[in-house]
Amino acid sequence: MIHADPDVSGSDSDEQHDDAVRNPSCGLTNSSSNFFKLIDTFASEIGELKKEMVQTSPSLDKESVDLPRLEGGVYLQPRQCVSMGGERDSGYDSLRRRMSVLERLTQTHPVWLLLGFSEEEAMRTLLKQPAGVFLVRKSTALQRKVLSVRLEGDQSETPISHFPVRERRFSFSLEGSGISFADLFHLVAFYCISRDVLPFPLKLPEAIASAKTQKELEEVAQLGAGFWDSALCSQPRSSPHPRRPLSRTLSPKRTNRNEEVEGSRQRQTATHSDSAPPTLLPHTPPPSSHGKGSYSGGPLCFVNPLFLQTHPHSWEDDPPLGSKPEKTAELKPVGSGQSDECHGDQNKLKGKSRPPPPRPPPPRSMLRRRPTPPPPGPAQATSRPKSMPEAVITRPPSSNRRPAPPRPSTGVKSSSPSKSSTSPNPRPPRPQKPDLEALRCHIALDDETIAKALSRANLPRCQPPPATEKPSEINSECPAGRERGRQRLSDMSMSTSSSDSLEYSRSPGYSLDLAPTPSQLHQDPVEDSSEDDADGEDEEDEDYGVGLEADLETRLRPVLKSRRRRVGVSLSGGSFDLPRSLKGRFSKVSGMLSSLMTPEKRTVKRIAELSRDKSSYFGSLVQDYISFVQENRSCHTSGMDFLQTVRQFMTQMKAYLCQSSELDPPIESLIPEDQIDRVLETAMHKCVLKPLKSVIEAILQDFQVSSGALQQLRENLAVAKTKRPQEMGVDGAVPPDSVAIEKIRQKFLNMRKVYSPEKKVSLLLRVCKLIYTIMQDNSGRMYGADDFLPMLTYVVAQCNMPQLDTEIQYMMELLDPSLLQGEGGYYLTSAYGAMALIKNFQEEQAARVLSSEARNTLHQWHRRRTAQRSVPSVDDFQNFLRVALQEVGSGCTAKTLQVNPYTTIEEVCSLCAYKFKIPDPENYAMFLVDEDTSQQLAPDTHPQLIKAGLHSRPLAHTFHFVYRRVSNLNLCTPAIMQNGNCLPAE
Amino acid sequence: LAMAIRELKVCLLGDTGVGKSSIVCRFVQDHFDHNISPTIGASFLTKTVPCGNELHKFLIWDTAGQERFHSLAPMYYRGSAAAVIVYDITKLDSFQTLKKWVKELKEHGPEDIVVAIAGNKNDLGDIREVPMKEAKEFAESIAAIFIETSARNAVNVEELFQRISKQIPPLENPDVESNDSFKITRQPASTARRCC
Repeated sequence: MIHADPDVSGSDSDEQHDDAVRNPSCGLTNSSSNFFKLIDTFASEIGELKKEMVQTSPSLDKESVDLPRLEGGVYLQPRQCVSMGGERDSGYDSLRRRMSVLERLTQTHPVWLLLGFSEEEAMRTLLKQPAGVFLVRKSTALQRKVLSVRLEGDQSETPISHFPVRERRFSFSLEGSGISFADLFHLVAFYCISRDVLPFPLKLPEAIASAKTQKELEEVAQLGAGFWDSALCSQPRSSPHPRRPLSRTLSPKRTNRNEEVEGSRQRQTATHSDSAPPTLLPHTPPPSSHGKGSYSGGPLCFVNPLFLQTHPHSWEDDPPLGSKPEKTAELKPVGSGQSDECHGDQNKLKGKSRPPPPRPPPPRSMLRRRPTPPPPGPAQATSRPKSMPEAVITRPPSSNRRPAPPRPSTGVKSSSPSKSSTSPNPRPPRPQKPDLEALRCHIALDDETIAKALSRANLPRCQPPPATEKPSEINSECPAGRERGRQRLSDMSMSTSSSDSLEYSRSPGYSLDLAPTPSQLHQDPVEDSSEDDADGEDEEDEDYGVGLEADLETRLRPVLKSRRRRVGVSLSGGSFDLPRSLKGRFSKVSGMLSSLMTPEKRTVKRIAELSRDKSSYFGSLVQDYISFVQENRSCHTSGMDFLQTVRQFMTQMKAYLCQSSELDPPIESLIPEDQIDRVLETAMHKCVLKPLKSVIEAILQDFQVSSGALQQLRENLAVAKTKRPQEMGVDGAVPPDSVAIEKIRQKFLNMRKVYSPEKKVSLLLRVCKLIYTIMQDNSGRMYGADDFLPMLTYVVAQCNMPQLDTEIQYMMELLDPSLLQGEGGYYLTSAYGAMALIKNFQEEQAARVLSSEARNTLHQWHRRRTAQRSVPSVDDFQNFLRVALQEVGSGCTAKTLQVNPYTTIEEVCSLCAYKFKIPDPENYAMFLVDEDTSQQLAPDTHPQLIKAGLHSRPLAHTFHFVYRRVSNLNLCTPAIMQNGNCLPAE
Repeated sequence: LAMAIRELKVCLLGDTGVGKSSIVCRFVQDHFDHNISPTIGASFLTKTVPCGNELHKFLIWDTAGQERFHSLAPMYYRGSAAAVIVYDITKLDSFQTLKKWVKELKEHGPEDIVVAIAGNKNDLGDIREVPMKEAKEFAESIAAIFIETSARNAVNVEELFQRISKQIPPLENPDVESNDSFKITRQPASTARRCC
């Protein structure tokens, strides 16, 4: 989608190019005039196309007219609309034709998106390349991404030029250009087609441009940066076989106007016959019969307007929504043996190792360089003090398109053996045998307790009864439950998300339909994520079936809100039935909206999906943590202690995601850098806090009750409620009346319903704003803290909501630390202070002073919260292990244990023997069971490392740690025998 | 070129009625920057001022001056880069309170906190109770910034914050900073805050 805003192209002129960046003067033309040329071209092309196309997609027409206007620049919005219909494809070479530049770029980003590359490396790499070849790296001098482009060979002074990328709030653009893109892929794809501010369009390396199949691209991608030194890259471009039929090529020889027009006509024909490929033609290196480098200084290339529409993000695997007629006959490509060559070349390259990147090696860059991960076991053994069993895992030969997940060993490595003592989450000792305690392995509650806990946790509405809970959960861990679908379902049954959704759908007052929050809280997450929920929910919630209602509810919130206002009726607690017709209408609207999802929302959605995918490393960490919290509700010393561990987990997962290769494409290519942390934070709320919300609330309340604090708070609130404003310190300003107090109460109640601490804080700000408004309406003057804090205290007392205490706690501990200094942090502090004064109200009346205990708490809180700003390493929360006990004839019982990376199988076995109450542990052993095999694990091996190794394998695997009788061979499948399943203890 | 914004938490201390929030309101409202979205109320205000190669965004935390709220002050001044302690030159008591705050900050405040002492209401010189000399000497003894202001007449308000800005040590490593803060971008109007 392209959309021009003439005001904008000039607005960038104030941007100065940094000295460090050499801007080639050659061929630079006024970007805006180029741009208008483009627009004209689009317009005429669209007109032509409409006439020519046999079957016009209505959505296409519509979109070419209803371009979304965005302030701040021309905006190319990635669309998820039309993709090519696979079912229509009957011809040879169809795969190649279906791959757009965007797709090629997206698939091969490990090759050209080399953020860790220095200028020297870029220089070295690109010098060997023909003009137009490029890579994207991050300039250390500029602290920005730059597009490094090989210029014409004879311009010897500056063979490489670096074009800085501007990252705005939601867009990427090249310095000096008025055209913005939603992400880096769209940007690069565009510049492969149009030169805009560049001297000439970018050029894809031959191997990428000419790849005919996904597989070929995968092979290229697997080489990562190593591609540039590989034979695949240096493959002579003068291949004896032209890879592309001439009829589809905008002939590079033609440079004068007339011929250009002709070429464009030709392309239109091609477009008519095949909507996808023309876009890449100009940039595909021509076969040898055509002159090389003939693009240089050539005219501005055209962008096929269909480019962005027909090629949505290929990584999203969108189902084809529509397809255009394809005529393949005249496009018969000349076959070549290239794919075979590729295989050969790649095999040669496999052993080749690349020098490490200069910057701290994030796991993913290391991964890129390792086309085939070595078997995890031995590799880890070399890098680890203790040795690993040699044949723990049998690896099926696989060539996988996905890069292997990060080696969890990276995370494990960073945890020293003494790590457990510094764990932020020291769990109180449970009654255990002393030697077991020494292992620092804490076993989870058994399943009966879990079931009880869940039923206590206020989840009765949609939670399956405990009886059914148990078997389904066991499925996920015992060999019988191998199917992925079942496993996932059972995982979800442990999650509280479903009850969450239900709760939302039952509470019409649920106010995500907030007005945007004040700027101190980033506004957009608040606004966006409510919509984001709506967009994402269809897919997410299918697992537990109640999602649709919740989803509709989310979409309907604005309606509810306006209704509520107009009628002025309090809807709290009531159920609200929506007319079906309305629902239908809104779901349509929402369907349209979801196609306009921003990269930010898509990223959050992807992370949320990843977090539920237990076959991913990230997903297994999150799911393990969630089930650990659910199963171990009483192992914390206080609510704050508990919330801290949750906060720390989220912070660590953010750090992990920043480095992880599991997010593919990397987040830097989708989200401007200054937004990454915020986007990750939003994603973590969704991944962690959303499923845990009700459990967290229950845990906090338990502490409140058990410590007696709740009772005391109730009493103090009752006393405080009787006080007049003056007695609370209010001097002069007019307090809210009972109607306003009720309104505020409703806002506080709504606050309880959201899981995101930021949204909660935004609601708190709305309350404060209301208080200010009432104060000011009655006097017209500005009120500072001298007047506001007493008034807030009075209001909190009048609201008489003991549960507000845990709400404040939740916000204070879980809010993104970077927001604590801002407005949200200020009013949160004030709310905490007001609550603290009320808690000590009676005392205060006597002593006029807070107890030293309360003071201490404040002190500690601050220390803790500021300490958290240092980013922790990824480790502590990987320390969960789910073990199933398998008994003959009686199925499985599973427990989640806390097992640190250096805990041995032997230690875990004795823990299991204790926890499962096995009278004869000498007859039991730990087995690793996966789809085909079952292997007994040697006593001195480390289950966490084995688990990490398994997760780093390219293919997603279901596996379980099963504790069972050694003699129980009848449970083993024949494959085990062949594998020699029982590893001798060393 | 984008300039890094550095956020600086500033805490306002002082007796109730000395004009803490008046000073800040004056500071924020003069030369009002329309690009910066307003805050919901006067207890928390922000203002961005250039300082050398940096932009300093003051996040100004007002505190309640009444005795009963004193115990909450640590939450407000912790993490502050600077504290402005305000007294009323026409009220000796408020100067005594100021001395208590100085003492508390020395004992419990952040180590490198910049302390500024502001004698407000200097437009009421004829009923002055705190001699300027005495206040100035006290400020010098604790190496604090000293300035007499008049929020009402907008006297020395800008200067107060400029002097604070100058005392904030510049960041040594701009690279580190660029991770912590954000670049200035022209914010689209659509993100302007709406509130209830």
